[in-house]
Amino acid sequence: MSLNKRILTFLSICLSLALLVTAGCSSPSGPGGGAPNDAAGEIKIGVVATLSGDGADYGVSIKRGLETARDRINGAGGINGRKISLVIEDSHGDKNEAINAVQKLINRDRVLAIIGPTNSGEMFAAGPVADKAGVVIMGTSNTARGIGEIGPYVFRNSLPEDNIIPITVRKSKEKLGFNRVALLYSSNNDWAVSSAKTFEEALREQGVAIVETQTFADGDTNFQAQLTRVAAAKPEALAVSALYKEAALLLIQARQQGINLPVMGGNGFNDPELIKIAGEAAEGALVGSPWYAGKDDPAVRDFVEEYKKRYHTVPNQFAAQSYDALGIMAEALKTEGAAADRARFRDALAAIKDYRGVTGRFSFDENGNPLMDAVVLQIAGGTYREVK
Amino acid sequence: MDLLNVYHLQIITFMAVNSILALSFYLPLSAGQLSLGCAGFMSIGAYTAAILSLHYGMPVFTTIPAGAAAAALAGVLLGFPALRLTGVYLAIATLGFGEVVRVLFLNLKITNGALGMPEIPNLNDYFSALYRSWGLQGGLAGLDLPRLAALTTVVFCYFVLAACVAFVLRQENSRTGRAMAAVKADEVASGVMGIGATYIKMLAFVQGAFLAGLAGAISAHVTNFIAPGDFNYHRAVNILLFVVLGGSELVWGGLLGAAVLSVLPEFLRFMQDFRWIIFGALLAAMMVFRPQGLIDRQLLCRFSLRKKPGMDGMDARSSSGEVD
Repeated sequence: MSLNKRILTFLSICLSLALLVTAGCSSPSGPGGGAPNDAAGEIKIGVVATLSGDGADYGVSIKRGLETARDRINGAGGINGRKISLVIEDSHGDKNEAINAVQKLINRDRVLAIIGPTNSGEMFAAGPVADKAGVVIMGTSNTARGIGEIGPYVFRNSLPEDNIIPITVRKSKEKLGFNRVALLYSSNNDWAVSSAKTFEEALREQGVAIVETQTFADGDTNFQAQLTRVAAAKPEALAVSALYKEAALLLIQARQQGINLPVMGGNGFNDPELIKIAGEAAEGALVGSPWYAGKDDPAVRDFVEEYKKRYHTVPNQFAAQSYDALGIMAEALKTEGAAADRARFRDALAAIKDYRGVTGRFSFDENGNPLMDAVVLQIAGGTYREVK
Repeated sequence: MDLLNVYHLQIITFMAVNSILALSFYLPLSAGQLSLGCAGFMSIGAYTAAILSLHYGMPVFTTIPAGAAAAALAGVLLGFPALRLTGVYLAIATLGFGEVVRVLFLNLKITNGALGMPEIPNLNDYFSALYRSWGLQGGLAGLDLPRLAALTTVVFCYFVLAACVAFVLRQENSRTGRAMAAVKADEVASGVMGIGATYIKMLAFVQGAFLAGLAGAISAHVTNFIAPGDFNYHRAVNILLFVVLGGSELVWGGLLGAAVLSVLPEFLRFMQDFRWIIFGALLAAMMVFRPQGLIDRQLLCRFSLRKKPGMDGMDARSSSGEVD
């Protein structure tokens, strides 16, 4: 076999493998863009979520929220009599898989629009793909900066921490009236670092002095040294940006050292596990959240009940945000012609104003990022309660 | 059967990138060096390409070679201390190198830390713009523009891959390749025969780094976004898997392994929740039934028209016992 022949053989093996993928799939070979081809039947919405691998628990919550929303919308007669169907694909938390899944949904399933992917990194990889193809892609859990700015077809309804933390600080200051704060954060966790930066900016804007900054690392169990320094600076409150495990241990040790100050937390405080581990020490801690399951609102009560009936657990923020995402899309689908044309659907979605979802009143800004208020919660009696 | 669907073209593109990665693992191995630094070199290539195109506005066709060259340079620097180690110790050291690079990119300003680098120019967009400037908005020969651009990306990636494969095959049948095989078989004996083992090992190592950087640079221009987490330990193991599954004795083994492992997860999509269970079971079955990999020398001889093995002069190689 000559060299050229071998290379040809290899390429033909590649080609036959590629044919293997496409075998058994009868896909319409129309043009790549344009209208999805089921103008009278069901309205197909694609979903890309991390359903396996790291972060699969987020993906599963998202899938459950979407399925609950789909059944509710279809049960109420669908969109002008047409039912919504979800085509759900797993991305395995991998950006290449997310790109493949988005390509499949657009080119093979010919969906009208896509919900997902789960991680911000996956959205940065797969978002431009959908945007170039002229298909709406809407994140329900991406909290990085610059998601909506990817392109005109990229939206999200998840509130980034940049928006939540300033609200937490403002409400906490109104309630407690502190002027000196000590900041503690995990310095080897990128998410914690960026939310600590947001805390710094928000505190500065509120005219609060940061009297001490201490850092630790994910996986640390002893925070005595940092807490001693913090206590010496005599702050009136603490701001903590860490995952729930470190945050819980830090709270316990702070109370042991007699630091009984109010604590503001980042998103790591939104995990019920924190209350389980820290127990009494977590009492009084404040955290901002896009979602509060105990809200006194009939829509929220109905959703929580329905979700509990199906999955025997209270919906978390990922389930609630994805539930709202499909609700927002359904609202846009009611617009004339939006259900048959990807570009029209995009314009209808961008025009959504004051949608009343379970996470609150919702509008898109000009980039497709959410305009909404966060709820500030306080841990009291071993559970989260809304701060009025 | 619709091979020219953009979705399928995307998979075929990833297949090419993974095949180059498999080659980058195979090259040092063909000189007896088990290096797991591929993920680290890949990230150097990817970040170099991303930084040059985003911060300095350099065109795609200069950033890709630059990424490969940067990785090769890193390979030279790492090679001097690391190649004093052998076998599993080299594997551990190179794996450690990959982690060092990842943490470095995690903390640098220019790489945007853990947040990663979005908006990297995409090859598809580049070709789209090119065709538009030629006045082909409507596409060509019944293909619309997105498909035409995706197809061009595929052709480009396979052109690069074919060049790499041709180089590796030519080298295997050259004096250098024979020297590599000799070093793999017995380093001391090859030294006695007058082969500069250090130089040969270094050469194979740096070539591997170059190819990994090349694959990294191309992948940066295919996936729009890179972050340090993309190049962690799992990535290194994944590349190892291509070669172990396909067969580590021959170039074709790694290439087939890369092709199979790129296609299989997508092919299994119809299994939905069972996808990764089936995938894992298939891998386990392949390891049980073909521990030497899908392709080995015997198999190739059975299918080729040659009478007996060893005409390639590659029979000096030991079997791949050290990869386990």
